[in-house]
Parts: sequence; structure tokens; C-alpha cells
Amino acid sequence: MSALANIKIVSQLLDLPIIDKDERSCGIVDDIELSGAAGKELRVSALLVGPGAYEGRMPRWLYWLTRKIAGDRMARVPADQIVEIGSVVKLKSRGETLGLHKVEDKVRAWIPRKGAL
Amino acid sequence: MNPLELTLGIMTAVGGFVDISELVFAAKAGSTFGYALIWAFVLGTIGMSVFGEMSGRVAAIAKQPVFNLMRHRLGLKLGLVTLMGSLISTLITCAAEVGGMALILNYLTGWPYPLLALLSVIALIASMWILPFKWIERTYGLLGLMMIVFAVALVAIHPPWAKLAGGIAPQVPPGLSTKELLNYSYFIVAILSAVMFPYESYFYSSGGIEEGWGAKDLLTNRVTCTVGFGLGSLLAIAILASSAQLFGPINVSPEIPGTSALEAATPFGKAGLLLALLGMLFAVAGAAVETCMSNAYAVSQFFGWEWGRHAKPSEAPRFTVAWIAVMLLALLIVLTGVDVMSLVEYAVLFSIIVLPLTYLPLMLLANDKSYMREHANRWLAKALGWLFFVVVTAAAVAAIPLYLLTSGGGG
Repeated sequence: MSALANIKIVSQLLDLPIIDKDERSCGIVDDIELSGAAGKELRVSALLVGPGAYEGRMPRWLYWLTRKIAGDRMARVPADQIVEIGSVVKLKSRGETLGLHKVEDKVRAWIPRKGAL
Repeated sequence: MNPLELTLGIMTAVGGFVDISELVFAAKAGSTFGYALIWAFVLGTIGMSVFGEMSGRVAAIAKQPVFNLMRHRLGLKLGLVTLMGSLISTLITCAAEVGGMALILNYLTGWPYPLLALLSVIALIASMWILPFKWIERTYGLLGLMMIVFAVALVAIHPPWAKLAGGIAPQVPPGLSTKELLNYSYFIVAILSAVMFPYESYFYSSGGIEEGWGAKDLLTNRVTCTVGFGLGSLLAIAILASSAQLFGPINVSPEIPGTSALEAATPFGKAGLLLALLGMLFAVAGAAVETCMSNAYAVSQFFGWEWGRHAKPSEAPRFTVAWIAVMLLALLIVLTGVDVMSLVEYAVLFSIIVLPLTYLPLMLLANDKSYMREHANRWLAKALGWLFFVVVTAAAVAAIPLYLLTSGGGG
């Protein structure tokens, strides 16, 4: 695959929403991990999800502020988990198994389950 | 297409179209400039229909709401700027709606304003907690239909129809001084902003996803955006025209929302007044819910959280926390004692500045065949989209200078 094609894949993937096999939202592709070296084949090895992946994508002061508010957690989704790339990235597993629903589940514990239709 | 669903959708769009800013600016525009600003409402409504239709179509075909795709298009940094701008402008708008509710309830009950703001927020949160999306939207939209009393009242006071129709054409009234001309320009910007608030397209597209829209719903989307928004806008125009007929000649400037209700009281007495106030109350309450949910939609979609009120609150926990937090923040703003009319001014000012950033990515997405396939924008949607993008950008550039030069339309 050419370097240009790789760059295109990166720009296609970056900032796309991720959904798991149950169609649940699992976050956004906040950064991409590439493997390879100069003169060798470059491959997307994982998607990085979470505020920890913002480092390098925003000014230092803004990342510092984001870390103070949202922490620096980051989940790594191996590239072989990707089933489809379109207007969303579809995964073949459930988000929980990839550590993508940790915060959602933590907050859920605080939400009452009564009264809603 | 189910005709009952379509009719309910249109009626909901009509009842849910008007909010506190439109109420205020329609009445003030009518009393200050007669029928000369009707065209600004018409222009804004066409723009809202164009972008509303696009956002609904993107939701139905790409199955993704505006903010999800906006971040992908704009990238993290510019996306964050847009997100922050939208959150601030929509929060101020939400506070203006909550304040408006408390004011209207104050006219109806005489109870203290801060207590009514608190009770309003409790009632809004309870309704959003209990009801699923479809019923939240329909309850407020259908109850807001009581605002039709304004259109009936306009017919009853026999306005000069020819003059009224003349207001549809863009114009600058002759003989205005420089100060009046600046004021007139400020009203154009404010009306465009009030009719085309960015939260409306976030709420509309997210609503499309909540209701599971697909290609089969494209006609419903188109009809709702043209007929529903068009008829909804007629209510705002009726308020403007009645104000021009009743308040303009006696130099009454409707500075508070309650003054507009007198337009229905003139021909129909107490019953008209009550219907107008209740219609305004539910329309404003509906807008409070829409603005609150829009902010929760925006932040949840931007960060890829579970979102939506088609499911129970515990199934989208961070989204639930977000909308409760927005409502409580809006209450906090109202309880600081800031005047509702000032909030309305700030809401239209911030919103018009954010509008171009909202609509550009939406238009690019709707143009993109890789997402939209055969449903991508065709020449008419493209031409109208770019035309209105130029209009809102010009309005955004002019907004702050005009606000400062006219002291917020005060002259």
C-alpha cells in the first residue's frame, strides 16, 4: 500500500465515531497507532480512544486543562477488531471487552432506574 | 409514509417553531418598523428549512447526527471551538427560555419569579425524565399550538392585508435616519438568528436518529421542514403584524413577552389572553427542552457517548447527566437575577456568530456522495445552501458592531 493511501486511511479514520457489535456508541477515534519504520510497510495497528489520546492533537495548555477535567485514560482497540469503516467504525466485539464502556458504566451506577417510560 | 404520523409531525413542528426570542423580536419589530421586517422572518424560515432538511437527510441516510460528523470534518481543534461556541450560545438560549417560562407563569399566578423559575425547571426535568423522546417532542409541540390564537386574532382585527403582503419583499423603509437604519439592520440580524438558531438543526437531526429515520422518511423530513416550519413561522409573523397594527400607532414598545399576549386579548378578551399566555408558555417550555437536549446531544455526540431519550435515562448515563446539568446551569443563570430580555439579546448575538461554523460542515456533509450516495445535495440544495451560508456569515460579521452601535436594538 502506498504512503499516500495510508495517510488517506488515517484521515478517514480520525475522529470517526465507534460502535460495537451491539450498535452501542463506544467513543471516537481520538488517535491512531501506526506500526512500521522508515522504508518498511506502515500499518494501522490500533485505534486510541479517550482523552489521553488528545496529547499532540491540541495545544499543550488545552491538553493540560482537558487532563484536569477528564483525566488521561485511553483505551487501545487493536486494528483486527475493525469490521467496517464508513460514517462510523464498526467493531466485531462488545465495547466492554475492549475497555470502552468503563466511564459510562461508572456513571450508570449513579442514575436511578425508576420513573422513566 | 403514515398520514397520521406526518400530520402529527407537521403540527409538532408548527407548535414547536416559536421560542422566546422570536416572540420578543417579532413584537418589537412590528411596533418599531410596522410590516417592513416580515421579509426577514420569511428569509430566515427558508434558510431554516434548507438547513433543517439537510440535517434531517444526513441523519436519515448517513445515520449520524450533525455533531458526530462535524468533528470528523472539522477535526478536534476546530470542532472543539464549534462545540464550545454552540454550548455557550445554546445554554444562554436555554436560560432565556426558562426565564421566559417563569415570566409567563408570573403573569398567570402572581407568584415570585425565582420560585417559578425553580418550579419550571423541576417540571421540565420531570417531563424529560418520564417521557420518551417522541412524547416529549409531541407534548410540547402540540400544546404550543394554542399559539394559533395569534393568527386568528390577526384576522379578527382586520389588518391592512395589502400592506402586510408588501412586507414580504426585502426592503429598507424610506426616510430612516442613520440611527434608525442601524437599528433596522440589527433587527434583521436578530430575527435571522432567532429563526435559524443552531440548536434547531442539532435537535432536529438528533430527533431523526432517535426516531430511527431512514430513506423512507425523506419525504416526511422534506414536508416537515417546508410545511411545518413555514406554518410555524406564520405564527411569528402574525405576532409581528398584530404588533404593527395595535402597538405601532400608539408608540407602545413591547419590551416584555407578556405584551404580545395583549394582541389576542384585544379581539377575544380574557379567553384570548389566557390562550395566548398558555400557548406562549408551552412553546417556550418546548424550546427550553430542545435547547437543553441539544447541548446534551452535542457534547455526547462529540465525545462518542451513548445518547438519546428513546432509551431509558440509565441506558445513556452521561447524556442524562449532561441534560440535567444544562437545565440546572440555565436555572442558575436565571437565579443570578439577569434580565430575561438581556438573555434573549445575548442568545441571538452568540448564536448568529456560531451559525456559519454550524452550517458549513453540515452542508459539506450533505454534499458528500460517499456518505449520502444518491441522496447527496443536488443543484438547488447546493445553491440555496451556499446562498444562506453567505447570508448568515454576513450577519455574523455584522452582529457585534450592530449590537454595540444600537445598544442591542435600543437605538
